[in-house]
Amino acid sequence: MNVQDKDRARDRSGAWENAGRTVGKPMPLVDGVEKVSGRARYTADLAEDALTGRILRSPVSHGRIVRIDTSAAEALKGVVAVVTGADCAMTYGVIPIAMNEYPMARDKVRYRGEPIAAVAALDAETAARALDLIEVEIEELPAYYIAADSRAPDAVLLHDNKAGNIEREVHHTFGDVAEGFREADLVAEDSFDCAEINHAMMEPHAALAEYDPEWERLTLHSVTQVPFYVHLMLARCLEMDSSRVRVVKPYVGGGFGARTETLNFEIIAALLARKVGGKVMMKLSREESFLTHRGRPNTQVKLKIGMTRDGRITATECEAVMSGGAYAGYGIVTILYAGALLHGLYDIPNIKYDGYRVYTNSPPCGAMRGHGTVDVRHAFESLLDRMARQLGLDPFAVRRANLLEAPLFTANGLMVNSYGLPECLDKVEKASGWAERKGKLPKGRGLGMACSHYVSGAAKPVHWTGEPHAVVAMKLDFDGSVTVLTGASDIGQGSTTIVALAAAEVLGIEMGRIRVVTNDSVITPKDNGSYSSRVTFMVGNAAIEAAKAMRAKLVAAAAKKLEVAPEEIECEGETFFVAGSSQSVLPFHDVAIAALAEEGTINVKGTFSTPIEAQGGKHRGGAVGSTMGFSYGAQVVEVSVDEDTGQIAVEKVWVALDCGYAINPLAVEGQIEGSVWMGMGQGLSEETHYIKGLPAHGNLTDYRFPTIAESPPIDVQIVESIDPLGPFGAKEAGEGALSGFPPALVNAVADAVGVDMNALPLTPDRLIEALTKLRRANKNRRAETREAV
Amino acid sequence: MKRVVSLTVNGREVEDIIPDNLLLIDYLRERRGLTGTKQGCDGGECGACTVLVNGRPRLSCVTLAASCAGAEVETVEAQAHGGRLSALQRAFHENLGAQCGFCTPGMIMTAEALLRDEPDPDEDRIREALGGNLCRCTGYVKIIRSVRAAAEELKA
Amino acid sequence: MTEVLPQFKIVTPDCVEAAIAALAGAPDARACAGGTDIVVALRKGLSETGTLVDLTGIAALRETATGADGGMVIGAGVTLAAIERMPEIGERYPAIARAAAAVAGPTHREVATLGGNLCLDTRCVYYNQSHWWRKSNDFCLKYRGDTCHVAPQGNRCRAAFSGDMAPALMAHGAEIEIAGPDGTRRLPLAEFYHEDGAAHLALNPGEIVVAAHLPPAGGVSDYAKIRVRGAIDFPLAGVAVATEPGSAGTTFRIAVTGTNSKPLLVDFPDALTGESNADAFFAAMQKAVQKAVSPQRTTTIAPHYRRLSVSALTARVARGLVGLAA
Repeated sequence: MNVQDKDRARDRSGAWENAGRTVGKPMPLVDGVEKVSGRARYTADLAEDALTGRILRSPVSHGRIVRIDTSAAEALKGVVAVVTGADCAMTYGVIPIAMNEYPMARDKVRYRGEPIAAVAALDAETAARALDLIEVEIEELPAYYIAADSRAPDAVLLHDNKAGNIEREVHHTFGDVAEGFREADLVAEDSFDCAEINHAMMEPHAALAEYDPEWERLTLHSVTQVPFYVHLMLARCLEMDSSRVRVVKPYVGGGFGARTETLNFEIIAALLARKVGGKVMMKLSREESFLTHRGRPNTQVKLKIGMTRDGRITATECEAVMSGGAYAGYGIVTILYAGALLHGLYDIPNIKYDGYRVYTNSPPCGAMRGHGTVDVRHAFESLLDRMARQLGLDPFAVRRANLLEAPLFTANGLMVNSYGLPECLDKVEKASGWAERKGKLPKGRGLGMACSHYVSGAAKPVHWTGEPHAVVAMKLDFDGSVTVLTGASDIGQGSTTIVALAAAEVLGIEMGRIRVVTNDSVITPKDNGSYSSRVTFMVGNAAIEAAKAMRAKLVAAAAKKLEVAPEEIECEGETFFVAGSSQSVLPFHDVAIAALAEEGTINVKGTFSTPIEAQGGKHRGGAVGSTMGFSYGAQVVEVSVDEDTGQIAVEKVWVALDCGYAINPLAVEGQIEGSVWMGMGQGLSEETHYIKGLPAHGNLTDYRFPTIAESPPIDVQIVESIDPLGPFGAKEAGEGALSGFPPALVNAVADAVGVDMNALPLTPDRLIEALTKLRRANKNRRAETREAV
Repeated sequence: MKRVVSLTVNGREVEDIIPDNLLLIDYLRERRGLTGTKQGCDGGECGACTVLVNGRPRLSCVTLAASCAGAEVETVEAQAHGGRLSALQRAFHENLGAQCGFCTPGMIMTAEALLRDEPDPDEDRIREALGGNLCRCTGYVKIIRSVRAAAEELKA
Repeated sequence: MTEVLPQFKIVTPDCVEAAIAALAGAPDARACAGGTDIVVALRKGLSETGTLVDLTGIAALRETATGADGGMVIGAGVTLAAIERMPEIGERYPAIARAAAAVAGPTHREVATLGGNLCLDTRCVYYNQSHWWRKSNDFCLKYRGDTCHVAPQGNRCRAAFSGDMAPALMAHGAEIEIAGPDGTRRLPLAEFYHEDGAAHLALNPGEIVVAAHLPPAGGVSDYAKIRVRGAIDFPLAGVAVATEPGSAGTTFRIAVTGTNSKPLLVDFPDALTGESNADAFFAAMQKAVQKAVSPQRTTTIAPHYRRLSVSALTARVARGLVGLAA
């Protein structure tokens, strides 16, 4: 990428010059009143008059389906329809080149819990009895639950076209790694094992499907983050024209990536609805929601870093092996992200990455908050700290020795236009009292820190169409109200509020004048969905553009009415006037009526397309990791460790995140707190646990995400680097801080009790095991010293 | 087995034929249309279904509806008065105590019981009292702040 | 609709005798108080019952009283929330108040009762699962199957007792009062339990727990619990310790939960005196606990850890009771 391209990128600024009337102030969510009042309707709240759908799931991990007999179930009174794999011969998946999953298994099952058949019945009791009446005969095959077993030379293949059970290998080298290591004064290497985790959003999965046999049309309400992808897959799997499909996303109780691809129960509900010619509610239990999974895979990271005496990183070599579950899902993207985002945080000239995404006989993994980057970042920040210790350097100093200078393109072609990491470091160092307190805390108490970053939307979507990445439509009508139409999926992160704020800011109008209509494919423009932290950046920019277009029409109408040139019109809130004159003032509604007189109801739209220079390197897989701007974060974690029980208490967290610009500081804070805390869950207590493929964690007592009791105060500081392409300068805020927590925790535990933990999460049993080993080693060392004397 | 049960739901006296094996959550959501009460787990693990029974917090997903005969049941729908949010609802709204909103009804009802008992709980007491209510979005920081803000407003 | 509950009828006796009659009258009848254990079990298909005998209408079970010996009687129907808040219990039997406050979450404790927690079903990672899960795994020895997946070579169920209240009461030397068709009987709480996860309660058909009788407390006590999170979690292990001051020094009653199919009284008769080497004394105590417990793979957290941590915690709690720093 040459300098000219860089300048072009910077010129295409999305920033609104007058930002700050409405945006930049804490704003409660525009859909918040519905949530606190109980009026918000989530998918499971729409069950009225629907049949009950339920899914029969595979009891074995791997096998050939010999026979399915549904006749007894079909004969049961109250059963309206039964479907099996025979009812859908089309595969689905989120990545067009890797769609290898059927909504219900055909021929083979590949994990325990995989759907085999489903029923629609008059009530839940009948549905449950019907499932028990379906006979399934399966010839079992060997099953593998960790990558190493799947990769064994004699392992049976899960998918015939995937040799070695590898979904994707990635081998990327940038710079001269060997030379980099030669320049290093210290080369350190370590291995890390990060357990598989799940999103465990509070709302269990649910879908409501309704089929109208007269019009041959399907409507699906679902918990999805990606209604557009669901729409495509419904049309594909039901072999319907997509114009006959409608997808609506009601209120959604969180997602964190679990719902960023079409899920089997959505298609199964639709298949049942079509078969019955009516309405089917498919509510999944918490256990089934865990089985649907798509979480962060178990990742084994081998990492080698070269460093000079003064802390400069000279080279990095990383191998990541992911046990990805039974189907492709987002796997290719995950394994690419893991390598790509070794870049973009620090200035590292030489990086080699080898990634292996491996099939295993467990529920398919997918995208989860911090997609692909978290476990590798964990390894990196942990090892960095250990090297700093060996070299006698302060952890902050090591990070500062490797800062980037924006604007630049990284070795793998990622565009960095804004970089607030230095300020983040300064802020958390000061707030935590690092300089005064580090190393001076009593035994059992410790401080640790780490940095992290994340993309603000993938510059290339997984489903490439050539269209703009985001479209926002805006309507102004006789009543003077502004309706904003967006397909952006608010799943609790506050995207609807961002769209409203952007419109209010640019139009200079009150929030009460604006209504945002979201997520109904017959009404709202297509949107790719809520993933990779793309919505604020892309949809925010599209909303700004739409509002600018609307404003231009209003200004023109005001100019005509006041008989001046449009350039002479100024706005102050909801009034339009001629510059320098206090006489000629028009209120908003009058201007709106004047504008409507020209053309009737005003409809405008705004779009956002990613600049070509943001779209990553030219190498295979180079698009993954590419973005318009990275968020940057630094955090300090303080712990106390109980050496008898291995229990770790997180006393406090100080975090600073560069989100470019906080359009809604309240929501930014909430996102940072939530992501730091979710990183804490992964660091402390969350892991899936399978017993021969059966989830032992399929509930909220054994999948232990933190309760309020042990959740610490989180001190949040927002850094605003004003990204030249971001809406009002904003970048992402909801994912970047997550991956800093687990390594900061591990570093704090090392500070507190002197053990370096290499496996996540730091459950008390793992910590006690490490402490016991340390004591034994110390004892042996003392014995050796005595002998030597 | 079914029985006729009289109870008060959100201030309204009702009489319903209730099967013995019907859970309170299903009674509220399906028979009374009060879908504000949420089901987040497979039984007694998350607190999203918390309602008040005779003023005390209760997990409606492990409570049999028939056992509420003669009782006064309150759900999140009873918080607002004349369309205006209650102090707790307003505090959760204004302080972003609700993100996705799914745990919110249970949080608010548990907090309501706490504030009726102890109008001015400190942070530690709030942590104790909400210990059985899981949230996946907020990290609880703004939930604690919301309960404190409601307590302040009620004091004023 | 949530998971479907089986068909059953609720009966609501208003006195102990009527409850016994109802239970004795139907072999598949089950007693129910707060419902926080049994309703979950019914939802998961872990229990079948035609009659649920709701004990919450029996006023006599909700009473607490001063015992004839100056001790205390706590009715089986007293809620854990009430026990947690009762000043008299907090002052005289702190381990019991602490244990009550450590059970599940506060909303559970609003309705969960002492009797319910004492009769809590044993727990196991192979058992507390959905119907689909257990069926896929050929069920287990505890329910509908013939193998204990925790110890397949053994011939008994290894599911772990996971109540917090029992050890606290045992450390205080409690007796349990049981009423049944043949009248009432009292036995030391420790004898109420068997080391068999599938039949861990010494409760005959038609019997219910009526009350716990506590002798006057001689010393001080405490309860501590090992769990991953600060709330909700069942104990991976828990320990109650009560001191008994005597002329020959202070002795300690130690009771452990979460490690075996029953709560255990740990045999440790040594007395701590002014002459004792405290470190050696508590190291021996720790050893005794380590030897007594036998945690199994009933949770996702390693048994070895549960053994080590509960023994270390015992020594710490005991030291704390006699004013020694951990």
